[in-house]
Amino acid sequence: MEDEIEEVEARPPSARRNLTLRNNAARQVAVNFMPSRQLPYNTLRLRRNNSEHNALLEENDSAETDAPDAVDKQADIIVREMEQHKRLMEDDPGAEELRREALRDLPQGLTMKRNVRAKLSASVSLRSKRRPISMWKRMKYRISFTWKRIRDRCRDVVFSFEFWYEPIRQIEGHFGSAVGSYFYFLRWLFVLNLFLSILITTFVIIPQALHDVETSNSAKLSFLDFITGMGGLTDSLLYYGHYHAGDVRAHSSLTYNMPYAYFFTMVCLYLLFFGILCYRTAYSYRVNFIETSGGLSHVFANKVFCGWDFGVVTPEAAKLNANSLYNEFKELLNEQNRNKAPTWWLVRLGQYVCNVCVWVFAAALVAGLAAALWLLLAWKPGPGLTYWPLLVSLALTAALTICPLMFHVLVKLEFYNPRTALYVTLARTWLLDIGILMVLLIYWSQAHADQCWETSFGQEAYRLVLLDSVISLLVLPLFEFTRGLIYKWSNKGSPPEFNLAYNSLTLLYNQAVVWMGGMFAPPLVLGVTIKLVLLFYVKREVARRACQPARKVWRAAQTQTVLYMFVTLSLFTTIFGIATFFLRTSSTSCGPFSGYSYVYEILTEGALHLHERPGLAAALYFMVRPGVIGFLMLFLCVSVYYMRARARAQRSMVRLLRHMLLLQAKDKDFLLTAISNVSNGEWLYSPKPTDEGPDSHTWKYLREVRKPSNSGFHFDASRLSHSLIEGRPRSFAKENRASHYNEKKSEDGDTDSSFSWQGSNNYLNKTDGDRQWP
Amino acid sequence: MGQGKSQFTEEELQDYEDLTYFTKKEVLYAHQKFKALAPEKVGHNKNAKLPMTKILQYPELRVNPFRDRICKVFSSSNDGDCTFEDFLDMMSVFSEMAPKAVKAEHAFRIFDFDGDDMIGVSDLREVIERLCGPELKLSDSEIQQLVQNVLEEADLDDDGALSFAEFEHIIDKSSDFCHAFRIRL
Repeated sequence: MEDEIEEVEARPPSARRNLTLRNNAARQVAVNFMPSRQLPYNTLRLRRNNSEHNALLEENDSAETDAPDAVDKQADIIVREMEQHKRLMEDDPGAEELRREALRDLPQGLTMKRNVRAKLSASVSLRSKRRPISMWKRMKYRISFTWKRIRDRCRDVVFSFEFWYEPIRQIEGHFGSAVGSYFYFLRWLFVLNLFLSILITTFVIIPQALHDVETSNSAKLSFLDFITGMGGLTDSLLYYGHYHAGDVRAHSSLTYNMPYAYFFTMVCLYLLFFGILCYRTAYSYRVNFIETSGGLSHVFANKVFCGWDFGVVTPEAAKLNANSLYNEFKELLNEQNRNKAPTWWLVRLGQYVCNVCVWVFAAALVAGLAAALWLLLAWKPGPGLTYWPLLVSLALTAALTICPLMFHVLVKLEFYNPRTALYVTLARTWLLDIGILMVLLIYWSQAHADQCWETSFGQEAYRLVLLDSVISLLVLPLFEFTRGLIYKWSNKGSPPEFNLAYNSLTLLYNQAVVWMGGMFAPPLVLGVTIKLVLLFYVKREVARRACQPARKVWRAAQTQTVLYMFVTLSLFTTIFGIATFFLRTSSTSCGPFSGYSYVYEILTEGALHLHERPGLAAALYFMVRPGVIGFLMLFLCVSVYYMRARARAQRSMVRLLRHMLLLQAKDKDFLLTAISNVSNGEWLYSPKPTDEGPDSHTWKYLREVRKPSNSGFHFDASRLSHSLIEGRPRSFAKENRASHYNEKKSEDGDTDSSFSWQGSNNYLNKTDGDRQWP
Repeated sequence: MGQGKSQFTEEELQDYEDLTYFTKKEVLYAHQKFKALAPEKVGHNKNAKLPMTKILQYPELRVNPFRDRICKVFSSSNDGDCTFEDFLDMMSVFSEMAPKAVKAEHAFRIFDFDGDDMIGVSDLREVIERLCGPELKLSDSEIQQLVQNVLEEADLDDDGALSFAEFEHIIDKSSDFCHAFRIRL
């Protein structure tokens, strides 16, 4: 493998053949009449606008395309190609929609599209056989029309309400699309929370507020209560414990069952958002990871073709973009030029051990923090410290702010590539956040099991959100501003950059607290929504005034997926945690479910009346038996394994097919060259195998891949898998070709355009695979 | 956004909506932006043809290393001067709604400097030189090596140039292309 690469690199660039343009026009004509070009998919795309069609029509000059008749002619060609596609030419709304989409996807100017459309509709109406259509069909068409109109109208409305559009665009122009994507993430979270809070407010908070007006009990509130969330606030709308356990009647005969409302609103919201998040994460994962197969295969080509961020607006940002590309090119080349000696196994072992050590340390840190938190919570202070819980929350928030920074430093000690390093940091921080929140949940549910642990946990969440808001809205921005100012005055050190990873992490933490706390303190969601609005403006100012664009281009597409994944994971953990506690701890002490001994009884007793229906009860109890669940799990595992096996099989099949396609493309290339040679009268009969031009790939592959023993299409599996494992299927052939090319040159240099069918056939029968011939 | 009296009739807007990836509001918004480039000229004739220098005043295009190519590709007269319809076309292709395939198609034409329907060695050199900006210059051998590497990765049929199919293959495998090849209206 190693020397193969070296040989490929050592090959002089001049050895690359340059026959591209030879016979290009004639070739295109031939290519255009190939069956594959007649397939609807290809004709619809109609991509190569000029040369092919001009070659087809034998037009003389492509510079004349702006002349009206040339446009007309080209439109004719396009229409003719479209007409071959039957489904497209039918006279019904479905086909019309298809035509519209096909037109829109046409890579042509508007004038051309309009021209094509006119011709197309004329052709359609000419072909259509006007028949009276049935009632049912007419209705179907009408519905589809209305649906389409509604969809368009919706998009229009969405565009006019797309808030923060211009601000984010400006930021993107300054800082590139990576920082822009942070703000899009922030906006997405905001919309999510806004939706959540609207639903919670209408179905849970307002009914309870109406109930409160009737019973009207007011507690005295001090300022400190607002900070701790305790005291007078304990028995308020803010917390779970306050919500009424019976029917709500507000000046009317209608009743509103509060327990049902609370239960079903929460369950539906959590499940709905879990579904949405799963779908979104899976979609993002599919687009960014699976369809691009990791996106890491074409490093150079990616840098060259996708390097420039077209959204950049300011000259400074453009200059930075150019500089970073320059540096990345240099880095890539250096990396390649450096002798890729395999790292000594001891070094690799050392790196591995180091990584493991740091992981252990990080895990220990998280565990230590959780334990310390438990001790702090359990410690009963003297009467002087009435606000001990507030101090605990303060310490906790401080720890949660500092630890991610520590992880950022920690990961520098390890041996990861930058992308993995970022993911590792994200994972550790997420572990910390979720661990801490879980410890809080467990602590409160145990320590206050007889009182109202739900409210206690709600208070904890309230304090965390409050303190986190203070930190992220005041302390951190102040810190960034001072850093920016110091840099401006002293002009020393590096300018502060917008720390994308850290900022995204705080958003993740924030959302995790919302998932956990929302159940026990419904108005918390509302507070967080407001906080996110403020956060947007604060961050925008920070980015604009105190930060510099990053010097390294940070591609966000895949990181975005990982962020979504963590949000989904925290929601999943939350649902799991809360469900467990609701199943195990009694709910009689307070809250909307105090009429039931367990929360789930609202479903079993309240909604389904299981004690009146023994049959249903028996079925349900059977279904939740450990044996049944275990069996289901086993079944799930088996099906997952089966799917995975299938996916792997398909992947290898895809690889095989791709290779076959490649070979066929080369065959086609070879045949086309042969045809054009024949048509030019250059066909020389020569039995010498050396007359084989370097152009014919087929020949090479006949030798390398197809065994002479098989006349049909056949792969030599061992050869194939060998080259596939290396991931460089072409290097082998290239190396061979290069040597062959040189050999041939030394013999005679004038047979470039000659070739021989017979020769290669003879050769095929003679050799069996190795380089024995001159 | 598109308030006030519009220069377009409802039919024209519907027409644009059918042929581009924009809604009517977005079309009007795009026209505002186009008008801002040359207020008096566009005020008289809504579909006025603006010279390339004027089009390049558009913020995103001003700093783009491929600005002249973009104008040429989208110009209906092939000389870089753009009417509003050309401009709308351009923005539509660069918008978020445009599918990857359409974007790839135009990207290919932008990168194909000599217009031979192949991205050859000279095109790649030009792209790399432009990407690094006017101040920083890679040495000739470095560029050569980069080009070699790109061809190594992408040139499947070994003809020393990238055809559209090969280019599209690269783009298909890139998760960043849609993020990068995008100009928000």
